[in-house]
Amino acid sequence: MEDIGMEEDSAEISGSAQKQGVADAWETVTNALMSPGGPGPEQGLWDSLALLSGEGLGRLLGGWLLETLQMRLSSAVVPEFWAELQQPENELEERGRAWVLLTAFQTLLGRLEPFLGGLERLESWQDEGRGSVCGPGPGGLQERAFTIIRALLLFSPSPVLQERVLEFYSRTFSVYMHQEGQAEDGAEAPEGPEGGVCPGCGVPTQQCWCKEALEQLKELSHILSKLQLLEWVSCEAVTSILHKLIEQRMEQHCRGEYERSFLLEFQTWLELVLGWLSKVFASEAEKDGLLPAPGAPGAPGAPSTPSVPSTPCFQAGQPGSSVLKQWRCHMHQFFCRIYVNMRIEELFSIIRDFPESKAAIEDLKFCLERTNQRQQLLTSLKSAFESRLLHPGVHTSDILTVYISAIKALRELDPSMVILQVACQPIRKYLRTREDTVRQIVAGLTGDAEGCTDLASELSRGDPVTLEMQDSDEEGADPEDWTPDPTDAVPDKMGSKRRSSDIISLLVSIYGSKDIFIDEYRAVLADRLLHQLNYNTAREIRNVELLKLRFGESHMHYCEVMLKDMADSRRINSNIREEESRLSEEEQPPLSLSSIILSSEFWPPLKEEKLELPPVVCQAMEAYTHRYEKLKAMRTLSWKPHLGSVTLDLELEDRTLTNLTVSPIHAAIILHFQDKSSWTLEELSVKLGAPKELLHRKLALWQQHGVLREEAGGALLRGGDGLSEQREEKLQLFWAYIQAMLTNLDSMTLDRIHSMLRMFVATGPVVTEMDINELEGFLQRKVREHQLLVSAGVYRLPKAN
Amino acid sequence: MASQNQDPAAAATLKASETGGSAARGSVTKRLQQELMTLMMSGDKGISAFPESDNLFKWVGTIDGAQGTVYEGLRYRLSLEFPAGYPYQAPRVKFLTSCFHPNVDPQGFICLDILKDKWSALYDVRCILLSLQSLLGEPNNESPLNTTAAELWENQEAFKAHLHSTFQG
Repeated sequence: MEDIGMEEDSAEISGSAQKQGVADAWETVTNALMSPGGPGPEQGLWDSLALLSGEGLGRLLGGWLLETLQMRLSSAVVPEFWAELQQPENELEERGRAWVLLTAFQTLLGRLEPFLGGLERLESWQDEGRGSVCGPGPGGLQERAFTIIRALLLFSPSPVLQERVLEFYSRTFSVYMHQEGQAEDGAEAPEGPEGGVCPGCGVPTQQCWCKEALEQLKELSHILSKLQLLEWVSCEAVTSILHKLIEQRMEQHCRGEYERSFLLEFQTWLELVLGWLSKVFASEAEKDGLLPAPGAPGAPGAPSTPSVPSTPCFQAGQPGSSVLKQWRCHMHQFFCRIYVNMRIEELFSIIRDFPESKAAIEDLKFCLERTNQRQQLLTSLKSAFESRLLHPGVHTSDILTVYISAIKALRELDPSMVILQVACQPIRKYLRTREDTVRQIVAGLTGDAEGCTDLASELSRGDPVTLEMQDSDEEGADPEDWTPDPTDAVPDKMGSKRRSSDIISLLVSIYGSKDIFIDEYRAVLADRLLHQLNYNTAREIRNVELLKLRFGESHMHYCEVMLKDMADSRRINSNIREEESRLSEEEQPPLSLSSIILSSEFWPPLKEEKLELPPVVCQAMEAYTHRYEKLKAMRTLSWKPHLGSVTLDLELEDRTLTNLTVSPIHAAIILHFQDKSSWTLEELSVKLGAPKELLHRKLALWQQHGVLREEAGGALLRGGDGLSEQREEKLQLFWAYIQAMLTNLDSMTLDRIHSMLRMFVATGPVVTEMDINELEGFLQRKVREHQLLVSAGVYRLPKAN
Repeated sequence: MASQNQDPAAAATLKASETGGSAARGSVTKRLQQELMTLMMSGDKGISAFPESDNLFKWVGTIDGAQGTVYEGLRYRLSLEFPAGYPYQAPRVKFLTSCFHPNVDPQGFICLDILKDKWSALYDVRCILLSLQSLLGEPNNESPLNTTAAELWENQEAFKAHLHSTFQG
């Protein structure tokens, strides 16, 4: 108002006739400006315009138009818009709400169009050289008008707009995805395939408004684009929809699923989403599209997003307008971030499942290179290790297994090994505090540990161990100190050697010394050689050879001597055997003796135990020693009577036990019962030179076999009569178990009963295994006694009472 | 950050109850095996239990209603699950057969002090089964889980009639 008033004032200065002319001209021009699509410019208008310009008033036209626009906006248009949007409180349905949203914007456009038209006209006049009418310059006026519209309209936007827009976009998204995405498995459909419900718009099919929604989308985006509001109104909603959907989809498809790669799948999906985006930003895209002639074959097919390299990437082959390009980048970036976040959370499980989870690791690697989240990954993984792995509840071998998996997985993930080194530092530190770490590693290396076959196969690859002595506690302890490799460090073989990724090297270097492992291995080797008693060393030789490659010849010298001892023993043994066989009948030794001859210097110290063997055995040993001394001058044998094993047959009154393999002390005990059928523990202890407690323990074996039994006074008797009684006792115990299992588990097959017994009747010394045939006989007896029912191979108890 | 506080705590509780790793699990297995043996040898009438499958940590139990109580002649199935911290933590015991009783809820959960706060490592399966058997005859009506049953308990005849008419063995 003020502005106009001023102009009239200035006009007043001139003569009144002229004043009237100017006022009329002003009237004509402003009317023409505001009349939508009025009659084309005519002479009268041009005259008026010329008059105004002559008076120097032309440049005020632009200002006047903007001012009027602003007033109209704040007094009428904006309140009307918000009222229209909000007015139908508790609006009935989504469809109705979408309609209201669109109408509100339609009205808004209708109200503003005259102004926009006027501005356009002004500019065209200016361009036609009809005087300076716009003021600031070409385009400036429209720009300012849009700024005013945005400012006044969105100065205090009500949440209802955001809600409606979000809802509307979500709906059109699901409609679009439903129409386009034949490949989609209905994950987007809010309701299940419930017959009558349209998966797109979520209402019964006869009321489906999918098509309508898409048309509304097109119109809305057209209006918004015209008012240059698209970016301001839609971006937030679109972003939050995309984020939500990517997140949702990732939760549904990827969480806990490590064996499949999701990159390609997501790429196709994201391309589909881009289709929807191109609808939302259709007008923008068109506008941009006019300029660079997009998708023309002449344009280089190079990926338009430089951050995306070759393989499974999001290629921008589409006629990408710059808006869409931005969105593509944004989505891709966001996908990577969410994916990395999720996988970081799951990394412990992924590592545990490696190599099955290789696909997940590869995906993660790809995405991690695009987001700056290594630090987050390290922190999270370290704390996962600490809370899930490094506490007393976890067995050492399990820790080692996870560590080995971690080595394998992390060297995939990060060929520079930096993550591996830093993240596994707590594991290494912790393993140092476990007593049995070395034993477990050695067991793994020799293939003795269950579940830990990795190490054995790793060993057979045979690389020399490179020890990392600098591996101390302080180093790399703080993730803050962690610095990435220089970018020029090529993650090739040399690079990985530098920061070793070799599993055995890493394990051995936990202690920083090879000797401790070699000592442990020597003990294990001794144990194995002495326990199998058959001179068979093929597997051991292989292991020692492989270890030699790893640790060097000199370290394995002792072990080599041990193996040689075995070979020598076998040879000497057969020599002596041959010699014996040439003897005459009466000179033949009463029992055949084989020996393992150890070079005492090279073997780990053996357990000492006192045991006096019966004379017959001693004589045999002496004879053996004699022959040995003849073979090897200047050497003699010093026997370890408690080590070794004895194979014997036992003839009892009622049965014969053949081919029992027992320890020397067991054999010595039973041998004494050959001469005398009853011994006290005291007597036996004196006779054998072994402590009573030990003997008592060893006697249990013979008691279990029902060969010996203990009398009240501590005396021991040779079995026979006691036997059936003990057997009965055993059967009675079995029967209690069988009754209990059938009471609680109703009915069972013979096999199941047998395996249950084997599994659970493992305590007491009295019980030995029961043959399945024996069990069947026993059960049949119970059936005959009506204590058990059987039908179709299934046993059950008769109903009580 | 949280894990630094969490870890020693976890370690402490573990140390308190177990001596570490599979040794601990091994000792639980041993204990359970021993308990099974004891139960087998005890020959108690009316109570019984056995591992459900090859998992020693999950048993099925059976108790018969004691003579002279309204539960006489009824047989109830239970499930017993032993946590890794057993016997320092109580086993989870639950009725599988639906049981109309003041201290048993429709899902079979049992309100019995020795299975909750009064649990002690000195109790064993046999002891639990015997306690449950006597709980049947002597409910604790102070804190009922099943108020209908608690109210009806006063009238033993009616209780018995309802019990037997609804029993689903």
